[in-house]
Amino acid sequence: MTQLDDHVGAARLADPGDPDLAAIARLAGGELEALEGLYGRYGTMAYSIAVRITGDPGSAEDVVQEAFLGAWRNAARYVPGRGSVRTWLLAIVHHRAIDSLRRRRATTELPDEDQGSASPLGLVLPDVWDEVAATLDRETIQRALAAIPVRQREAIELAYFSGLTQVEIAERLDLPLGTVKSRMRLGLLALRRELGPGDRDG
Amino acid sequence: MADLHGSAMTCGEVAELASGFVLGSLEPAETARVREHLASCPEPHPELAELGAVVPALARSVPVVEPPSSLGPRILAAARADLAGVEAERAETAAAAAAEAVLHPAPIPAPTPAPLPRARRRPAVLVELFRRPAWGLTAVAAVVAIAVLGAWNLQLRAQVADLAAYRDGVVAVLDAASSSGGQLALLKDTTGTGPSGLAAVDPAGRLVIAMHDLAPTTGNQVYEAWLIGADGKPLPAGSFVVPGSGTGTLTSSVGSTEAGIVVALTREPGPGATAPTLPIVVEGHAQPASG
Repeated sequence: MTQLDDHVGAARLADPGDPDLAAIARLAGGELEALEGLYGRYGTMAYSIAVRITGDPGSAEDVVQEAFLGAWRNAARYVPGRGSVRTWLLAIVHHRAIDSLRRRRATTELPDEDQGSASPLGLVLPDVWDEVAATLDRETIQRALAAIPVRQREAIELAYFSGLTQVEIAERLDLPLGTVKSRMRLGLLALRRELGPGDRDG
Repeated sequence: MADLHGSAMTCGEVAELASGFVLGSLEPAETARVREHLASCPEPHPELAELGAVVPALARSVPVVEPPSSLGPRILAAARADLAGVEAERAETAAAAAAEAVLHPAPIPAPTPAPLPRARRRPAVLVELFRRPAWGLTAVAAVVAIAVLGAWNLQLRAQVADLAAYRDGVVAVLDAASSSGGQLALLKDTTGTGPSGLAAVDPAGRLVIAMHDLAPTTGNQVYEAWLIGADGKPLPAGSFVVPGSGTGTLTSSVGSTEAGIVVALTREPGPGATAPTLPIVVEGHAQPASG
């Protein structure tokens, strides 16, 4: 992979002509037409994630609508250094989808404060990783997921796609909580190794 | 694990919860406590970036499902409705401010900047690993900030112009009403939450109207003012157009008018209407203003 070497991602991110950054700036200025471009670029991806998580086209539509409205209302709170617009937007979609799922299950609800924060996780994600994720195709990511130990993948998927908390996963799988935590952690590290720059940092 | 509600988490506890945190898989109370710790902790937490880095890739692993073609338009329509709500609120505030400005001119208050997120230290190891120039981020932030400020500035200038137009209209209305024998009417819609404004008729037979929050006119459309006397017959009293700001003013000559006359506005397909096209947009009873 050459993404890191030629800094394609970084160059794109720092480009003031970046249509995503321009769209966010316009949205923050109250120009809702900018939403159209964002939806054109990420609507399908957003919907795909929402369908995968909610398992229901109707809920998925609601989730995507809520997420884009959330982005429109909170555009001024987007911070470039915390990850790309795409990652920000898709994280909002993920959050809304899990929220919808949990509401339906009537269990744990996510705190609402997350909705507009720059990164719903509130972390500094390394941008280059962000860009690597963007340039990897779906098959590569699926292959990497398939390559990690099945129990670790299961823990990650139950958390990320089924919206279960670690405690709920432990109950469902009848495992000690500590085992669930360590499977998640090892799984994420394994996925990172599979996906890229981790083994080429010399 | 430390107690759930009391003392702050340690860095070690946060590190232990990192994988659950980045996957959104902690209990809500735990999530809150991790956030609390991160908000005040001066130490870097490289484990979060280390574990969280691949989370965006998870989102991209899902099979592609095309959304229905109606979804995009539906979202835009919802955003427009949202914007209309925001603008109605803003117009209400602007109207209140305009009324206030008539009596107590005051400088425009400075805007409240969007909350800037706390800068968090980028883990040194990652900086070195990826050798991403820090100025890149600053430059991007600056570009966005400038664009946002620019847009805000334009918006503010437009708002100030709108405010000034409405204020000038209100001053003209109050002038007309305050002359001896002048009458003043408060124009409102039936809900009391839509467009509103003031109308005055002075003894010389001059009708002056200042309105805000009206739906803008398009094409040949005009707002027509009507005077409705005791006989219930509406007489056309002048028309005006309304730009995107929703502010409209009118000064016209209507001759002598009886006391207690009703002033009403309708939206007409073109100027020169002889009978009002319902519904009535706003109306109000003129009352003697002196005293």
